[in-house]
This record gives sequence, C-alpha cells and structure tokens, in this order.
Amino acid sequence: MVKLPPMDYAAIMPLLILFGAACLGVLIEAFVPRRARNITQLLFSLAAVIAAMVFVVKRAGNVTAANAITAGGAITIDKAALFLQGSLLVLAFVSLLIFGERTLEQGGAFVAQAAVTVGSEKDKEQAAKSLGSTEVYPLALFSLAGMLLFVAANDLLTMFVALEVFSLPLYLLCALARRKRLLSQEAALKYFLLGAYASAFFLFGVALVYGYAKAVDFASIHTAAAVGAGNITLLITGLGLLAIGLLFKVAAAPFHVWTPDVYQGAPTPVTAFMAACTKAAAFGGLIRVLYVGFDGLGWQFTPVLGAIAALTVMVGAVLAVTQTDLKRLLAYSSVANAGYLLIGVLAGGQLGLQSVLFYLVAYGLTVIAAFALITLVRDADGEATHLSRWAGLGARSPLFAGIFTFLLLAFAGIPLTSGFMAKLSVFGAAVDGGQTWLVIFGVISSIILAFPYLRVVVMMWLSEPGESTPSVSLPGVLTSTALGVGTIATLVLGVAPGLLLDLADKAAAFIR
Amino acid sequence: MTPMWYIVLAAVLFSIGAVGVLVRRNAIVLFMCVELMLNAANLALVTFSRINGTLDGQIMAFFAMVVAAAEVVIGLAIIMLIFRTRRSASVDDANLLKY
Amino acid sequence: MSAVQTGEIITFFILAPLAVIGALGMVLARNAVHSALWLILTMLSLGVFYIVQAGPFIGMVQIIVYTGAIMMLFLFVLMLVGRDASDSVIETLRGQKVVGTLLGVGLAGLMATGIYQATRDYTVVGLEAANKDGNVQGLAKLIFTNYVFAFEVTSALLITAAVGAMILAHQEKSGVKAVGQVAKMRERFLPGNYPGPKPGPGVFATSNSVATPAKLPDGNPSQRSISPILPTRELTAAEKADKPTLTGGA
Repeated sequence: MVKLPPMDYAAIMPLLILFGAACLGVLIEAFVPRRARNITQLLFSLAAVIAAMVFVVKRAGNVTAANAITAGGAITIDKAALFLQGSLLVLAFVSLLIFGERTLEQGGAFVAQAAVTVGSEKDKEQAAKSLGSTEVYPLALFSLAGMLLFVAANDLLTMFVALEVFSLPLYLLCALARRKRLLSQEAALKYFLLGAYASAFFLFGVALVYGYAKAVDFASIHTAAAVGAGNITLLITGLGLLAIGLLFKVAAAPFHVWTPDVYQGAPTPVTAFMAACTKAAAFGGLIRVLYVGFDGLGWQFTPVLGAIAALTVMVGAVLAVTQTDLKRLLAYSSVANAGYLLIGVLAGGQLGLQSVLFYLVAYGLTVIAAFALITLVRDADGEATHLSRWAGLGARSPLFAGIFTFLLLAFAGIPLTSGFMAKLSVFGAAVDGGQTWLVIFGVISSIILAFPYLRVVVMMWLSEPGESTPSVSLPGVLTSTALGVGTIATLVLGVAPGLLLDLADKAAAFIR
Repeated sequence: MTPMWYIVLAAVLFSIGAVGVLVRRNAIVLFMCVELMLNAANLALVTFSRINGTLDGQIMAFFAMVVAAAEVVIGLAIIMLIFRTRRSASVDDANLLKY
Repeated sequence: MSAVQTGEIITFFILAPLAVIGALGMVLARNAVHSALWLILTMLSLGVFYIVQAGPFIGMVQIIVYTGAIMMLFLFVLMLVGRDASDSVIETLRGQKVVGTLLGVGLAGLMATGIYQATRDYTVVGLEAANKDGNVQGLAKLIFTNYVFAFEVTSALLITAAVGAMILAHQEKSGVKAVGQVAKMRERFLPGNYPGPKPGPGVFATSNSVATPAKLPDGNPSQRSISPILPTRELTAAEKADKPTLTGGA
C-alpha cells in the first residue's frame, strides 16, 4: 500500500497559496465582467502575495534541521530558502503594482488580444481603446510560484520542473506588449528558443549527475561527490551542463545574448519583474546547487566559474557603453550585475552567501524602480526609450530626473546608496574568500560601467530640452508606490543596511 | 556490449541536436532540434535507471515528457504568432532587435 | 536483464544507426516536414530502446506522447505555416555552419569518449528488483511518494500551456452582425452583380485542368471560371478550336 509522504503544510503553504491563487485567477478571467477584471485580478494577486508572505514570516521563527525537509524529500524550507522566498514575494509585490497601472496609457501596458495580427485594422482599433488583457496576473503568479519552488527544491527533478514552471509564463508575458508588438513577439521567440535550449542542457546534466550519484537529491549528490569514488568525469560534466542551464537564467556571459533583446522587447512591467525576480530565483537555485549539492567536490569548479564571472562583468560593462537604448543599457547593466553576484557566490562561506542574498534584494528593488520610471517617459508612440530622447529631461521634470539620477548612481555604486553597500559586501566577501583577482575585475568593470550611467545623467541635466523631448507622464498611485518603494529602499539600504544584512546573515545557512 | 553504448548514443544524439540549433534557421526546426536534445537526455536517464537499478531515472524521463509537451504548446503558439505577422518562420527574419 | 543478451545487441545495432540517421536527417533536411518525419524515426527507435531496457511504460509513453502527440502538433503547425517553411541557403553569419559543425563534432567526440571512459567499469544493477511488482506499479509508487509534489506542480505547467495557447491564438469575434438570408439575396441581385453560379472549370473546354478557363457559349474563355490565384493557361490553337461535336464531325 502506497502512503502519501508526510507534508508539512505550514512550510509549503506559500507555494500552495500562490498556485491556488493562480488557478483561481484563471477562473476570474471567465466569470468577472471585463471592466472590473483588472482591479479584481490586481487586488486578488496582491492579496495572495501578502498571504504567502505572512506564512513565510510565520515560518521563519521555527525552522530546525528536523523540520526543514518535507514533501517526501522534494522541498527544503530552510532559512536561506525562506529568505529568498520572502525577497521574491516583496519584489513581485512591487512589480505587480506596475503591472496594474492603467492611467499612463488607455488599457495599460498589455495588449488586449495578442492573437490579432500586427498592423491589421483590428489591431489599430484595439490599440486605441481596448482594455489590456488581464491573464497576465495568473501567469505572473504561476511564474512566481515556480520561482518560490525553484529556490526551495531539494532535488534536481523538482528543480527542473520548477524551472519550467517559472519560465513558461515568462515566455508568454514577453509577447504581450501593447506598443511595438513586433519587437515584443520577437523577444518572446528569442527568449523561448534559447530558454528551451538551455533547459535541454540542464536536463542532460541531471541525467549525468544521476548516473554518477545514483540519485538526484542534493544530500546524495553531496555524499557521492564527497566520496568521489571512481571516475568523476560524469559528475563534473553533469555539473557543467547544469551550470549552463542556470547561468543562462542568471544571464552570465557567454549565455547572456538573450538579455538585451528580451529586456528591450518585453513590456516594461514584465522586464522589471524579470530583472528582479528571475535573477533572484536563478541565483537562489545556483547557490543551492553549488553550496548544497556540489560543495563536496571541493569547489573544483571555482576557476571555471571565476573565468565566467570575470568575462560577465567585463562583457556587461563594455557593451553597456555602446548602447543607445535605455532598456538595453539596463539589460547590459543587469548582465554585469550577474557577474558581481557570481563573484559573491564564488567567495563561498557564510559571508559570500550573506552578501549574495543582500545584493539580490538591494539590486531587485533598485531595478524595479528604474523600470517603473522608464514607463513614465513617453510620447505618442508609447515609451521613449532612446537615450537621445532623454536629453534635457532635467529641465522638463526635475523630480523624476532627480530620482532617475539617484537610481543610476545606485547602479554605479556611489556611497549612500544600496548599490554601494551591496558591491562592498560582495567584494569584501570575495577578498575574504581568497578571490582577490575577481575583485580587481569587478572594480575595473564598475569603473567602466559608471561611464554610461553618468552619460545619461549628464544628458538629462546639461542638455537643453528640444522639440523631441518627451513629456513625463504623471504616474498613477500604483506606479508611484512602486517607484517610491524602490527609491526609498535604495536610500535606506544604502544608509542603514544593518537590518537587512543581519537578516541575510541569519539566513545564510542551508540545510542538507 | 554493455548498456554504456546507450549513453554514448545519447551523447551523440544530444550533440547532433545542439549543432542543429546552431546551424538551422527555421524556428520550427530549431525547436525540433531542442526536442531531440531532450530525447537524448531521456535515453540517458532511462539507461542510467537500468544501470543504477532504481526507477528514478524512468520517472525523470516521464516528467521530462510532460514538461516537453507543455513547452511545445507554448513554443508553437509563439512561433505561429510570429508567423502570422511576418509570414516567415526563419529566425534570420526576426531581426528587429539589435544594437 | 542486467546482462545484455544477444537479442538486445541485435536490436541495438539495427536501431542505433537508424536513430543517428534520423537525427542527422532532421538536421540536414531542407524541408521542415521531412525534418519532422526524420525526428519521428529517431523517437520511435528510442521508444523501442526504453522497452528493451525494462521500461515498458516509459517506452509506450514515448511512442504515444512524443511521436503521437508532440510530433503531430509540429506537423499541424508546419501545415498551417505552409510549404514556405523550408530554409534559405543564404548564410547570415559567415562560416557559422562550418564552425557549428566543427563544434558539434568536437562536443560529440568529447562527450561520447568521456562518458564511455567514465562509465566503462560501472556495474549494471538492472531493474529486476525495482520492477518486481511490475514496472507501472513501481513508477506509481515513486510518483505518489517521493515525487508527488513535482507531479502536482506539473498541473501548473499544463494550465499555463492551455492559457498561453488561448492568449496567443484566440481572437474574440468582432462586433460584425450575422447577415440574414434576405439581406444576402438583396446583395446578390443588386445591379452589376452576376447572380448565377459561376461556370465550372473545364465546361466546354478541351482539358480538365482547373487552370483551363471554361468557354462561354460564344467561344470566349470565361475568367470567372478559374480561381484568381491560379495563372491563366494560354490555350493552344487545337484547344481553342471548336470540338468535333459542334462542327458536326467534319
């Protein structure tokens, strides 16, 4: 007789809430009248995220080594998982606010019917007046639930399924922009094809690791790797293939090529969601694989990953200099940031883990605020993302130009911003962990990367506004809240990072 | 002969798929190459299942198939969407996004 | 079944080359439909391998789901996309094919030899013990214990797929009202419209090709009789001439 394994429902409640809410969200699509759908879906999704957050916080107090692993060994809700889940929920909450914005543009940022052919009569009609599709909320919730599972997965199979659960809705969300639909569809195609390619590598890696370790849960992999019996080629190859799949998701060079295209083509709220949450989830998965599963290898992979980290920070920084589109610029900046995070991962130990966790939250909040601001600068064709269009924005709208300047300074890592504290902790941990050469690369890259940021700042403030300078729309309550939260968090985490650093420090422990 | 030959076959099929993605242009064919890679991974999983004497490998192959089925639906829907506007399924024609 | 028996060796050496040929055929075929058919060959061979390796359930699922459902979906889409789906031969990236192929040969060589070397001295346990209550029962036991959460979560994938296909493919009907029979009749008999049925192709013609226009009673070809997308075929002198039945057999 087969018995269901014991389930610790208190531990997996956040997951269950989000999956359940996403399913109900699909039903809301069917039964709620079109006019009321956006507000219903938005409030419902936000409520689900808050409810999930409540359970995460409640759980945080009583994690022990005995009760962490549940659901037949498929899930580990340890402190690091809870920290990552909590940060994902916070970041998702803020980006969902931008999803819901309807005052900037009639009908919001999403297309009403994606199936209508671009450029047809029907398309012109729907661009002008139709309400945006609201299926985006259940899709975002599915994706978020997948991310929460991804950072808590205790075996490679659960991880693979979670990877797909969080990726598939993102592919769809990318294709749903209201303006520039061709770009949006192209972004979805590229993201999908490359994402599927990467997940095939991941699966083959799972197969090879299974061949060596005879099981796919991290504890067995750790034991097998620590013993290191026989020929470990299989294990190393397997880890390499797994890493390709994961590094694709974190957008590390040379697996970053999708990032600029997808960030530029996707609807800006989705870009914000991806930039913050996908990065956090993918790094959560990567550190779990490396720290929990494969640390028995004695970190033999450090040189290779170090080379990738060095390449990533340089590629991101150098290519950011040549960009003329703000969304692409931020995409390359996100590539470079993936490199800094990798440096933190390679630092190893408690300190490295803590710095990565802190960095993910700090960077996520800043990047959401930056993309929220990009949705505000618009002309008749939607968002004006070309750099030249931002010239002279300081005279047009000093408040928003000021906020954007502040966010860019945070990206550049100027003191009194969260970016500075994050970089400081990551580089500090790396020096501590004996990876000083990576820190040198990181610092050089930061200096190069400061140039494109400062160029934007100079353009905004020192150029005269011309005829083509777009206006800055007044944001509605939702975007203002997202922007405010992101900006204030950037400031607070820069001035008084102690609280979050302590929290990250307490959370920096995995249970095998 | 040992069952390892199946693994070798899986590695060869996986590589053919990986190269196919690099050299072909048609989005649908690219996607088929990815499917071939997933199939190769499944063959490796089933063979390792036999070598290790546990059924976990077969389970994983089973899950991979479910995942592939869902992925195919979404992928083909995106490809159809592009095709309807562009009248082309070549990835070379998807060239609006570049720097 | 831990030891490899003669029957299995024969099966392997027949089907493994077929699988590789199928894979190569898929990559090399110019026409996307041929690619799909080649891939089906590979997938069927793999299905047989699964069955041979003590996985009857997974083998049948491979044949039913992969070749039966997934590849059929591919073929459907290819039919929708049309015969234009074949590849262009123009290289956008110079030397990309050569580099790609070299990379691939290198990857295949490295992986195959590496994996062979690594696994050569593995002992094969075999699945007799795991399958002693039956393969399906063994799988079910695992799915509903260790992997039950992943199993439940796959439903999220399927919902996402269904919702996604609907978002990307479904168009709501626009507000055009259905036209009644009376209105249709009025429109048909409006002045300037030809109310009768169009002449069928080949009527009074000497060829039964659909591209041959029908001849009107006065001997001129009727443009209405052929579909506008077809090129009009020039009639030869013999075909233009009246049929013997009309001229009285002269």
